[in-house]
Amino acid sequence: MPPSPVLRALVGFACALVFAGAAHADAKLLPPEQAFFFSARALDDKTLEARFSVTDGYYLYRDKMKFDLDASAARLESATLPPGKVKEDQFFGKVETYRGEVVVKLPLSPAMAGKSVVLVAESQGCADLGVCYPPTRQKITLPIPEPGKGPGAVVEAQPRKKNWFN
Amino acid sequence: MSQSTLRWSLIGGAAVLALAAGVYFGRAAFTGAPGTQAQAAIAGLALPDTTGQEQRLDQWRGKVVVVNFWATWCAPCREEMPEFIKAQNEWGPKGLQFVGIAVDSVGKIREFEKEIGLNYPTLVGGAGAMELSKVLGNEYMALPFSVVVDRKGGVAYTQLGVLKPAKLNDLVKQLL
Repeated sequence: MPPSPVLRALVGFACALVFAGAAHADAKLLPPEQAFFFSARALDDKTLEARFSVTDGYYLYRDKMKFDLDASAARLESATLPPGKVKEDQFFGKVETYRGEVVVKLPLSPAMAGKSVVLVAESQGCADLGVCYPPTRQKITLPIPEPGKGPGAVVEAQPRKKNWFN
Repeated sequence: MSQSTLRWSLIGGAAVLALAAGVYFGRAAFTGAPGTQAQAAIAGLALPDTTGQEQRLDQWRGKVVVVNFWATWCAPCREEMPEFIKAQNEWGPKGLQFVGIAVDSVGKIREFEKEIGLNYPTLVGGAGAMELSKVLGNEYMALPFSVVVDRKGGVAYTQLGVLKPAKLNDLVKQLL
C-alpha cells in the first residue's frame, strides 16, 4: 500500500528542516586546534619532528607554516617544508596547501641532549565549508633525549578530544 | 484508508518530524541565537577606522547594518565582498549600511580597499576583533562572519561563512 499523503507531507517537511539545519556552515566546524592537530617529538638530540594531522575537509597553507623555539639557548636551523598540493587560487595566485599528515624535520643547533625546548608552530588554514581561521600559534614542550637513546615520546599540543559527532 | 493505517501514519510522521525539528532547532541553538552579551557588544561597539579615528557603530542606528568581519588572507571573505559592494550601491539609499571589521594591518586593509573599490567603511579590528566576533556567536573565530543589525540596533541574524546574495536579499526585504 502506498504511504498516506499525510505521512508523505510530514516526511517532506521534516527533510526540509534537516536540510535547512545542515545549511549552517558552522554546524560541524571544528576549533582550529582540532582541525589542525599539532604534535611533535625529538628524533635525537639535534633533530625535532613536527607533525600536523589535518582533519578531512580542512587544509593548511604551506607559506603560512612557521616554526620557532620559545626562550631557548638553542635555535632551529632553516627547515625545508615538504611540497604541498599546488593550486591556482583566484585571489592568491599559485598556492600550496597541505591535507592529511604533514611532517617537518627541524634541525636543532646546538644539540640539547638531556634538556627540553619549547617548540612554537604557527599555522593558518581553512575549512572546505568556506571559512578560514586566523593564524594559530601552538606550543609544545619537548624533552630532548641523550645521544643514542632513540627518539623521545610524541607530545601533543593538547589532548585529542573524543568527539563522536565530528 | 483504514483507521489504524491513518493512526500509524500520523504517529510515524510525528516521530520523524520531532526528530527533524530537534536536529534543526538544536543546531540553531548551537549556532547561537543572539544573547544579551551579543546585544551589549553591538550596542557598545567602537573601533578605529583606517585613519585612526574612532567610529561608533551606533552612528548608523536607524539603518539596517551588516557588520562583516574579514581579512585579506581569507579567500571566502574576498569572494563575498564584491556582492556587498553591489548591495551597498543598490540599497544604501534605502537604509542599508555595510561596515567591515578587518582582522588585518592598516596597510593591507587600505591596499585591498583600493583594489576592489570598497564603498563602505572598514574598521580596524586587530586581534581583539576575533574575541568580539566570538561574543557575537562566532565560537571558533573563523572568517568570514557577518552580523545583521536591525533598524533598532538589535542583532537580527548572524552568518558564519559566505553571506550568500539570496540570503542577503531575504534579510534586506524583511528588515529594510
